[in-house]
Amino acid sequence: MGFLRRVWRLISANGGIYSWLTLIAILALYPLLTPSGAALLTATQLFMLITVSSNWNLIGGMTGYVDFGHAVFFGIGAYLMGILVTVVPDYILFSPQLGFWQALPLAGLGAMVFALLIGVPTLRLKGPYFSIAMLGTFVAMREIIRLLKPFTGGGEGLDLPPVLNRTRDYYFMLIFMGVVVALMWWIRRSEFGHSLLAIREDEVGAEMRGIDTTRHKIIAFMIAAFFTGVAGAFWAFQNTYIDPDVVFIEQRTVEMVMSSMLGGLGTVWGPPLGAFILYMLQDLVWANFYNLHLFILGVLLIFIVLFVPEGIIGTLGDRSSTSLGRLLSRGFNRGERTMEERA
Amino acid sequence: MNTASPYLLEGHKITKRFGGLTAVHQVDLAIRPGEIVGLIGPNGSGKTTLFNCLSRLLPIDEGKVIFKGKDITRRKPFQVARMGMSRTFQVIRVYRKMTVLENMLISRQWRGEGLLQMLRPSHPDTERRAHELLDFLMLGHLKHELAGRLSGGQRRLLEIGMALMPDPDLLLLDEATSGVNPTLIETIKDRIRALNREQGKAFLLVEHNIEFIADMCERVYVLNFGELLAEGDPQSIMNNEAVIEAYFGA
Ligand SMILES: Nc1ncnc2c1ncn2[C@@H]1O[C@H](COP(=O)(O)OP(=O)(O)O)[C@@H](O)[C@H]1O
Ligand SMILES: [Mg+2]
Repeated sequence: MGFLRRVWRLISANGGIYSWLTLIAILALYPLLTPSGAALLTATQLFMLITVSSNWNLIGGMTGYVDFGHAVFFGIGAYLMGILVTVVPDYILFSPQLGFWQALPLAGLGAMVFALLIGVPTLRLKGPYFSIAMLGTFVAMREIIRLLKPFTGGGEGLDLPPVLNRTRDYYFMLIFMGVVVALMWWIRRSEFGHSLLAIREDEVGAEMRGIDTTRHKIIAFMIAAFFTGVAGAFWAFQNTYIDPDVVFIEQRTVEMVMSSMLGGLGTVWGPPLGAFILYMLQDLVWANFYNLHLFILGVLLIFIVLFVPEGIIGTLGDRSSTSLGRLLSRGFNRGERTMEERA
Repeated sequence: MNTASPYLLEGHKITKRFGGLTAVHQVDLAIRPGEIVGLIGPNGSGKTTLFNCLSRLLPIDEGKVIFKGKDITRRKPFQVARMGMSRTFQVIRVYRKMTVLENMLISRQWRGEGLLQMLRPSHPDTERRAHELLDFLMLGHLKHELAGRLSGGQRRLLEIGMALMPDPDLLLLDEATSGVNPTLIETIKDRIRALNREQGKAFLLVEHNIEFIADMCERVYVLNFGELLAEGDPQSIMNNEAVIEAYFGA
């Protein structure tokens, strides 16, 4: 632990600027160093996981609203991309055939608008009630997509224009991840970020001190949905094919939650670190014990909950961390508070 | 401010029920700018509930609340806070995992809420005010201490500091001296007086400590079983038969 602490201090200190520059240089040059398309794809997927986990962490970790259906925004982004760029309109009613760069922001905006619509009712719910409402939203959306066959291709899915360019994908995702992580870092230091943490730690107290809690929660939710939607849109384009069962997978949300928990819920660097470890671990497990891989992930989850509830960075002393248990018990503590106040 | 009314805060016939229990029944109360008013009553008489109604934490069943001449009965708590009514809590609500200074910065003056505005770090004026208030409350040396590590009395002071951050005109303090050692109680008294005299801030104080009330307040309201039992200057309240009965009788 002492060693880890020292490494961490090195990275987080200002002197760590050189470590950062080195890391950025390595990441920027990586495609030139490796000729293997598979290695680039792996790295791109890791960047994607870091990106979506960081966004999940904005609403789940920093604001304290544990979203068990966050992949719905990924799915909406993916489907908007699919519908907007599809070239073969034989089963699809509406297809403006936009280019990738035109469709990308629209997909993000679509996810964001959906976050506004669904957030207004669900963000009133506390603790596990919100989590379950979002899980329900996710499952419902998968079925809606399946039913809207004329637009979405239903169960048969959509074919996107096949464009294979691993190097371009790599750089796109690298920069996108950089933007998202930098934004999270900035938010954490802003008044907005302070207010989000205050809402997480005591929402009633925050409201009584003049914070418009509803507005803050919805803005955080919309930001998290926008970038997750863009990530989903990118994924659809890169994958060149989407259907409800490859897009709307529960495991996408589980990975976001686990990355954040493993690294440290509510911290800026927790999700990137957690995603990195999770990805390496998954790779290892997939390669060696394919049949056991879900089992091993489950065991890991239990391990985190029992032994490092505040994640690695939380355990190393980052005060903005919290644990899933605390967040999920919120709906139940509220009553007690008022009871206490009666004394 | 509405010139028609001499009052900063008015509660008209406030009633609050919890299921079958009427915790506050038809209570009228009014506070002038710059006044220090006490609110006393036996345990469970509805003092905290009345605070919750006035500060909009709880929706009220009947009656209305007027603050600075505006009807705030339907406003949200954060709006009321920004209008200049701050409060503290009987069960202390400080952010234990944040430092004393960070706690102060949570509560602040609101200068508009465009997203870009909110995305800036704390304003230097806000930080300056936080430092000044912490010194004023004698918490200056604890700025970088976690709030969770303060003593009960220091936390009460911190809550008062947080309530003062937005520069309110009225402060509602719920049992600000409970669990506080006698020296710190003197500090709290002294600071309340200074705020009242030098800045004209009005206070509504809920207290167990009758001496504290007698010492500090110009006027006192007495609640009993959710109803207003008496109102007047501390001396006449102390000698009021009904009040004595409610506190010590039967
Ligand atoms: N949230 C609540 N739910 C149900 N009953 C409550 C609640 N809050 C207070 N009460 C009841 O209302 C009455 C007044 O309580 P309270 O306002 O806390 O009294 P005080 O602050 O004067 O001690 C008590 O009987 C209490 O049990
Ligand atoms: Mg009380």
